[in-house]
Amino acid sequence: MRLGLFNTTASRLSVGYTLLVTLAVGVTLGSAYLLTESLITDEVDLIIDSELASLEEKFARSGLAGVTDEINLRIDSWGRIGAVYMLADSSFERIAGNVTHWPFDGMPSEARPEFEIATIEPGRRAVHPVRAAVRTLPGGDLLLVGTDISQGRRFAAKFRVATLYGIGLSTLAAALAGFWFSYRLARRVEEVTRTCQRIMAGEWGRRLPLAGANDEFDALAASVNRVLDRLEEQAGTLRATFDSTAHDLRAPLHRLRTRLEALLWHSPPLEPAARESIESALREVDHLQRTLATLLQIALAESGAPLASPSAVDVGALAAELVELFEPVAGAQGVALDCRPESAAIVQGNRQLLAQLLTNLIENGLKYVPAGGRIEVAVRRLADSVRLTVSDNGPGIAAENRARAVQPFVRFGAGAKSEGSGLGLSLVAAIARLHRGRLELESNDPGLRVVVDLPA
Amino acid sequence: MHVLLIEDDIEAARFLIKGLCESGYTVDHAADGRAGLLRATEGQFDLIVTDRMLPQVDGLAIIEQLRGREIGTPVLVLSALGSVDDRIRGLKAGGDDYLTKPFAFAELLARIEALLRRPSAPHVTRLKVEDLEFDLLARRVTRAGRELELTARELKLLEFLMRRAGQVVTRTMLLEGVWDLHFDPQSNLIDVHISRLRQAIDRGSDHPLIHTVRGSGYVLRSDG
Repeated sequence: MRLGLFNTTASRLSVGYTLLVTLAVGVTLGSAYLLTESLITDEVDLIIDSELASLEEKFARSGLAGVTDEINLRIDSWGRIGAVYMLADSSFERIAGNVTHWPFDGMPSEARPEFEIATIEPGRRAVHPVRAAVRTLPGGDLLLVGTDISQGRRFAAKFRVATLYGIGLSTLAAALAGFWFSYRLARRVEEVTRTCQRIMAGEWGRRLPLAGANDEFDALAASVNRVLDRLEEQAGTLRATFDSTAHDLRAPLHRLRTRLEALLWHSPPLEPAARESIESALREVDHLQRTLATLLQIALAESGAPLASPSAVDVGALAAELVELFEPVAGAQGVALDCRPESAAIVQGNRQLLAQLLTNLIENGLKYVPAGGRIEVAVRRLADSVRLTVSDNGPGIAAENRARAVQPFVRFGAGAKSEGSGLGLSLVAAIARLHRGRLELESNDPGLRVVVDLPA
Repeated sequence: MHVLLIEDDIEAARFLIKGLCESGYTVDHAADGRAGLLRATEGQFDLIVTDRMLPQVDGLAIIEQLRGREIGTPVLVLSALGSVDDRIRGLKAGGDDYLTKPFAFAELLARIEALLRRPSAPHVTRLKVEDLEFDLLARRVTRAGRELELTARELKLLEFLMRRAGQVVTRTMLLEGVWDLHFDPQSNLIDVHISRLRQAIDRGSDHPLIHTVRGSGYVLRSDG
């Protein structure tokens, strides 16, 4: 299985991480912006308030004329640096100040009204935003004091842009870091997954690579490698046990066969009766050796030892070949043997063992199906496996006996001839298991249907 | 023909030596791996028959050493290890044939004969035994000029026999060579296939070409 970049835990984590960074940076810069903006406004308001206070004080001391003088003085001394003054009567007509006419429609409702003022500056016309406050002087005249806030506005705009850039860039940086991080993580995990799959597929000598980073992945890989070492060691021990068992049983059988065969060369030649019994004994030895080989094969498969040197086997083609091999024998028995193979039904396996599996199933059918019967071998490709079916219309196996039928030395029915080893289906089950496949015995209504699913 | 037998099982060896000598071979015997390797590298042999599991130097190691020294003498491996992988390992190491113990002496003899008389060169395009002719390119077979109808598998079986004309070919050799099956099915499959082929080739002929060799297998040859 190949992991997509976006369905790994790492990529989900990195997306979450990016969102978190964006949120954190956004909150930090956003509140800094809001704080700064209110600080600037407060500062402006403070200046306006102190100006108003000093002008009101002037009014209290020297009346309208004093305030007018003071305003004119301040306009002169401050020039265009941003202070706006206006003294108006109760009908909003200008008495003094650097504003030509009352900027509001009557009395402004807000405490700090804002308006725009147009000025002629060298070479161009400019519009300045102004923040102001209005006081009604005793006597009904109105005093307006304002400050040009265009600088503050510009600063706020720049701050806003900077904030947005900050959020954008840190999001990008977090996303890139997250992507890189999850890519590296996914790659290492995928490397581990791929190696494990190859090991499962039979490359038992392979080990997980260590990055040399001494991180948790290396620690994990090292642990897995230790487990694999141990498994390989056990498989080796098992193999050696099987080898010596096979050797220790086959060698005396070989000597026995040799002695018997040497008798046949006796000169002068033996009597026909003696010859006959020696030949019969030789057949028994051969039968014994076949049973032994089958038992060892079953034991080896059941021990969980891996399938050695698997390769691509076309089960469809193999089934067709074996059916063709058996067809004359079946024909001689009056049994129809058909094959419905699907081409390119490839599994990773051992051709000889799969051929043995098919042979046993066909021979099993030939043993039980009476003349006039039919055996059908079918191979079908499924989504991720190959389904091999051998069905017949013979006597079948009763449902309650099916589980037992794959156990060694179990035979059913009168059709079972004594020369069978009783190991046929056990070996089939063992070979299926060795290929990580599944064996199912079903009723063929009437007859037996054996279904073997082998992972492709 | 000079055969080197490397076998540590003295009784089995004695039997093989006797049988091979009676069949017309000259046999040298080595009872362990080291002696066998020494003998194999020093002497001139037409064939080496070695056991797989030997004291001191293993049978497969002997083959690897020989092949490493570019000694191409055909090697037949005898083994008490009979699983499919053992066989593959034996052939991978450079062995030319692999026989699992216990075996019939006739089987060994047929295989030795096959190794000593390698089948006719692969570039040959026509095979001919008496009046039986096989055009390998056109996949056409004629007997006394009359064309025979054979299936693809029968053609393969016949080619195997004709390339080894005059040699005894056992049932397991046919299963391995024609069907690539390295185990013994219980049924008499080969006999049935041979009898079909015989029907096609020898029916109505005064000179049957396919002969049964009792206790061994079959031979295709011209003499009666």
